[in-house]
Amino acid sequence: MPNDWSSCDGRGWASTSDSLQTGPNMTSGESQERGLSRRQAVLGAALGGLAWASAPRTSLAQLAVRPNRAESEADLLVYVFLRGGMDGLNAVIPCAEDDYHRSRPALRLASPKDRGAAQADRAIDLDGFFGLHPALASLHPIFEQGRLGFVHAVGSGDQTRSHFEAMATVERGQPNDLTGSAVGWLARHLALSPTENGSPLRAVALSSMMPDSLRGATGASAITNLSEFRLDVPRVAGISSERSLRDTLANLYGHGTDAIAHAGRETLKVIDSLARVDPAQYRPQNGAAYPASELGGALKQVACLIHANVGLEVACLDRGGWDTHFAQGSAGGLLASQLADVGDCLAAFDRDMAARMKRISVVVMTEFGRRLHENSALGTDHGRGSVMMLMGGGVRGGKVHGAWPGLMPDKLDGPGDLRVTTDYRDVLSELLAKRLGNNKASEVFPAHLPRSIGAFA
Amino acid sequence: MKVARRDALGLAAAAGAGVLASGCDRLTRGLTHPAAPASIALPTGAVAPLARLLNRVGYGPRPGEIEALGRQGREAFIEEQLHPNDEEEPFLALRLRAIEALRSNGLELADLPEWHILAQLQQAALLRAVYSRHQLRERMVEFWTNHLNIYARKGQLTYFLPTDCEQVIRRHALGRFPDMIRASAHSPAMLGYLDNQVNRRIDKSGGGANENYARELLELHTLGVHGGYTQKDVQEVARCLTGWTIESRFWRQRGRFRFDPDFHDDGPKRVLGQDIAAGGGVKDGERVLDILCAHRSTAKFISEKLVRYFLGRDDAPWTNKLADVYMKSGGDIPSMLKPLLVSDDLLSGPAILKRPFDFMVSALRATAAETSGGRPLQEHLAKMGQPLHQWPMPDGYPQKTSAWTGTVLARWNFALALATGSIAGATVNLTDLLKGSNSDDASAASRSLVEVILGDRAESNSGLVELISTHIGAREATGAPGETIIAEAGALVLSTPAFQWR
Repeated sequence: MPNDWSSCDGRGWASTSDSLQTGPNMTSGESQERGLSRRQAVLGAALGGLAWASAPRTSLAQLAVRPNRAESEADLLVYVFLRGGMDGLNAVIPCAEDDYHRSRPALRLASPKDRGAAQADRAIDLDGFFGLHPALASLHPIFEQGRLGFVHAVGSGDQTRSHFEAMATVERGQPNDLTGSAVGWLARHLALSPTENGSPLRAVALSSMMPDSLRGATGASAITNLSEFRLDVPRVAGISSERSLRDTLANLYGHGTDAIAHAGRETLKVIDSLARVDPAQYRPQNGAAYPASELGGALKQVACLIHANVGLEVACLDRGGWDTHFAQGSAGGLLASQLADVGDCLAAFDRDMAARMKRISVVVMTEFGRRLHENSALGTDHGRGSVMMLMGGGVRGGKVHGAWPGLMPDKLDGPGDLRVTTDYRDVLSELLAKRLGNNKASEVFPAHLPRSIGAFA
Repeated sequence: MKVARRDALGLAAAAGAGVLASGCDRLTRGLTHPAAPASIALPTGAVAPLARLLNRVGYGPRPGEIEALGRQGREAFIEEQLHPNDEEEPFLALRLRAIEALRSNGLELADLPEWHILAQLQQAALLRAVYSRHQLRERMVEFWTNHLNIYARKGQLTYFLPTDCEQVIRRHALGRFPDMIRASAHSPAMLGYLDNQVNRRIDKSGGGANENYARELLELHTLGVHGGYTQKDVQEVARCLTGWTIESRFWRQRGRFRFDPDFHDDGPKRVLGQDIAAGGGVKDGERVLDILCAHRSTAKFISEKLVRYFLGRDDAPWTNKLADVYMKSGGDIPSMLKPLLVSDDLLSGPAILKRPFDFMVSALRATAAETSGGRPLQEHLAKMGQPLHQWPMPDGYPQKTSAWTGTVLARWNFALALATGSIAGATVNLTDLLKGSNSDDASAASRSLVEVILGDRAESNSGLVELISTHIGAREATGAPGETIIAEAGALVLSTPAFQWR
């Protein structure tokens, strides 16, 4: 991959795995000058790293500051959506509830102090009431250290128990509109955010498809693989250079007003920005090892973009496979392996980001939780309330937030579901105001009066 | 006579299957591959409506088809499309016969690895969409494949998928909707995908039913989420469908539908206000399907989706009109489609974004590509975000434009690879295609490329013609080979925003 951005984070960060201690390499005035190549001049302010490139080499503390957004002091958001309805009751388990154990004879996890059960089959105690699924064990130290918290019995007002309605409701951030034209909540946030960030990589979805939460956002891209995000010029005698093809494409896409013409122009900008990022060279810090899963690969790419200082503000990731109607398992099995992947991925990210976690907020959520009672196929059907995971320096961690509604039959919702006591918009509004520097949450989530949760500092 | 000829071809294909698979298919290729026309010049008169008709009823024109449609006339064309027969071009028939997955059922395929079956199904879909003259049927197969979506990678469903593709979707794609829903409800692939396979009562008192299939049957397959059902209806439908499972006891019957009375909840039920008496057994489920298929909400929901598919927008009057036809005709799909397809509204209104499959197939057609539909092509489809049968959720690949705006780069890379002959199993020769047309200088070559690929007059795309012409001119100045220059220019035309829409 061509990489003519040799002075700063393009090659500098990639080739030195110890750069955490020294910051992006800026070793001499000469390299600084070399760095200000023609491409930089052309791309100008579109590239977030430019200001950084000309800044003097400084201390560890400044690493955490994204240069183009230094004035905003806003967190970078990593938004992970678990698609299919994650069973919050078996992730952050209400161990002290008898009804939990009664309703799930096959799927239940044993309580932390249950001497009758093997250690591996027991939940990990969080606060004497809730326990963590043992598959999430890698998150426990982060919880203990206060960088990870949960909000339980959280959900949306959607009553259909339909994946698609519930996801659309959550991702649009407002009650379903039948026209289907509403933009996503993250798109509204980006439009209302006070930061001036012209980076084409301001918002990135690590998927081939743009999630609804980013629908209508400018400067949002869907990318599955950073290192493949370039024009793939076939090896044919006499074919044009990548540059020449790129320029003709820029002309072809120069003036159109349709959605594809617009997307094409954004794509060209992203190609230009990513030309100076070399993901193949990316080495996670502090011995962090990302699982070889899709989510692991995606989070590693997010880490790579963060290190490269390309102006990333919001990263969206998806992980499917939570629709566990059948044989979801208990301490082992389907759900356990799903949870283990999420836990191990988040733990690797936390370790990799280290001090940078101070200015990063990770939010993990799903469209709904699952029925309290297990079904005859030893799975669970669509329910209501589930759990949100929050990780980052600004999280009030070490705590399970939210009002617990209880699991007694009269406390359940509809056919036997965990009642929703916290609207997901309460959590996200607090995130916007306290961590993302956006005090217009009422416009991001219209028709919602947020209540304080106290999940973010 | 006809039958005998087809049989002969079938035998030849079966005998030659190994040869075909090994890639030594030059012998058969020259004989039967549809020839490109002598001239790609567009006919006189207005071509834009003809091109749009071919783009909206099917996957876009192959060179020469606009002219053929002009001769045939719109109504005759639509009539033919609505009532296809089983005849395919010999070239296509030959290639399809070589695809094992289409000739076998379920567990007969157990010797093949799953990815192989999945690749064969994608190959069949590509070949049919590119080469079949029954273009509307292929478009409807795609529509219903997404409407009744099955994720091939769940469990070992891949083995049941060929039967679902052929006997549920393709067989009824232009038939009656209730027949398709009944076939789907009995299809092992669907029973497995949405867990009805394990939908059982827990004890004599009932309860514990698995709601997965019941919910999606109501929400996605028939009534629609706003179709007027409740959570209680979901649970009652699930109870009606307890015991609908896949045979697993006897080897000979393995992998077929089976009703297991031992697991059926035989108590009384009430679905959408209608009582279903106790003791109905398998008839409970059949009754549910009848109730759903006769429901006005189903008529409306299916009509709404069809209108969106063909017009690219919501249109309440059209939805109601099609829903009326559904109710009167018992869900006869051609009767519903006909008024829409002969209407001028099909040719007006907003452009519809081609999804990656549409884009790929239309590019192969526009360039008269010769393709085997093999893995290299399928890999491009996956990179563009639409590997067939691999959308995990039951709602099928999205239709909305916003979902696909991240696929532009992968489209450019496909266009470049295709036009320059860099995809194994997909051969394009644009220089040959332009023979007989004026392509003597950069400007003329550019005009011809734009006309054949976009199926529209160069005059209507003068800005594009000029840009491509400039690019060709600049390449000629470098002394690059003429074929490469034309291939590259063709790739750029395939990459334009204009070609991404139908």
